[in-house]
Amino acid sequence: MAQAILQVEHLSISYGNLRAVQDVSFSLEPGEILAVIGQNGSGKTSTVECVEGLRRPDSGFIRVFGMDPWQRRREVYRQMGVQLQETEYPSKCRVEELCQLFAGFYDRPADWRTLLSQLGLEEKRKRPVSRLSGGERQRLSILLSLMGRPRLLVLDELTTGLDPQVRQNMWESFKNIRESGVAIVMVSHYLDEVEALADRILYLEKGRELFHGTQRGFREYVKSRIPGEEWQENCSLEKLYLMITPRARGLTLESISSETRQRD
Amino acid sequence: MKRFMIICKMELLLFLRDFFSLFFTLIFPVMMLLLFGGIYGNSPVFPGARIGMMDSSVPAYCIMVTGVTGLMAFPLTLAGYKEKKIYKRFDATPAGKKSIMLAQAAVNLAMTFIGIGILLAVGKLLYQVQIRGTAPAVWTGLLFSVAAMFSMGFLFTALGRDVKTTNLLCYLFYFVMLFLSGATIPDQLFPDQIKKVAAFLPMTYAVDLMQGIFAGDGLSRYGRELLVLGAVTAGCAALGAVLYRKKDWT
Repeated sequence: MAQAILQVEHLSISYGNLRAVQDVSFSLEPGEILAVIGQNGSGKTSTVECVEGLRRPDSGFIRVFGMDPWQRRREVYRQMGVQLQETEYPSKCRVEELCQLFAGFYDRPADWRTLLSQLGLEEKRKRPVSRLSGGERQRLSILLSLMGRPRLLVLDELTTGLDPQVRQNMWESFKNIRESGVAIVMVSHYLDEVEALADRILYLEKGRELFHGTQRGFREYVKSRIPGEEWQENCSLEKLYLMITPRARGLTLESISSETRQRD
Repeated sequence: MKRFMIICKMELLLFLRDFFSLFFTLIFPVMMLLLFGGIYGNSPVFPGARIGMMDSSVPAYCIMVTGVTGLMAFPLTLAGYKEKKIYKRFDATPAGKKSIMLAQAAVNLAMTFIGIGILLAVGKLLYQVQIRGTAPAVWTGLLFSVAAMFSMGFLFTALGRDVKTTNLLCYLFYFVMLFLSGATIPDQLFPDQIKKVAAFLPMTYAVDLMQGIFAGDGLSRYGRELLVLGAVTAGCAALGAVLYRKKDWT
């Protein structure tokens, strides 16, 4: 068994009285992809931010390459790349300038010109970051996460804002990256993406770890949690997920029309 | 060091692309100099005085430059990066947010001295402005003034929850100090009530200090000014650092 690149044990995070993450544990080996899934507010981003050393947990044990990411963030980032869920760059900075800047942070940076071309951003290299579209900015974020030739990648909402074609290309790219031994933690709401990429799934609900294991294991988990008549063999991961996820209350036409009546 | 220089280069480029910072640091003080120089020339401040109007105004305009960078350009850059979570992104690299903040301070300092340099060069060339103080005294006065302005700006970014609040604090303090400290309007013209208010403004002490040093006075005559500026620097930097430690950067 290969040595774990990432180890998280009994992680707990609170915001005031709110217990955002409770007793979450997982680990990751080279060449593995772990998908963290769950509804909004289930603690996914808080969990990966602790792995990234950007948030201090209340309790628990985290080691990235054997180091505490909070204490030794600079060293950890020599080998870890991240794509944050919500981030911006200096708006007047041009794409190639940002690439040069990030390349300067690493001893042995990736060839960003090749990455620009592979990610379809070559023509935008002189463009200020503020004038990129959402999808282009997302691709730039992915490029920057790869700049340090990382051994561990943490991708929070990898393909949000990308068109289907680019998403498919991105999946293929990350499969290749995984083949080279890079471990990946990905947070995603796209279950087709998780199905295509993930070796293992960590399913969180209200900060609790409800499931951690393989995709096959997740199917068994869902099967054990729902009435037999609802079970469907060979359905997609997305359908499985919807079977066990609490339904969100939808917007009703009545609420809108009553609002209109009140205004009248 | 190489990494730090790369960041400084980028921050310098961004500073130069920001019209507001560039204009108010490098051009506006020179415009003030040309405007008032055109009206008064470097005639004596009063009949028989050895100090000319521009000899007295240029050190005040130098403090105006420190105010633009220390209380406007530097803190507003910091506040913008903080609000847009740009620091957080840099914290997720081997560089870290501290090196970005240091580079921003270094670039703004460099631009302050370039702005002052241009001002002095134009003053010397057009109005034969004279610096009668010694070089160590001038540098000491400048460094105390710059440190006080930058540390105040730093504190405002720590106090402000967002760009709007920081903007408000910076604009309020900058413009009140600009008009009441003697940086633009000679404080001899102020009524006593205004002078009492001006006595509470750190920029007043910076203007008095620099005008005195430019006139040839020794630093020993400006113990009170140096003490006030030193205390403002220490107090604002310490309080700002404490508040920053408590901030949630995520």
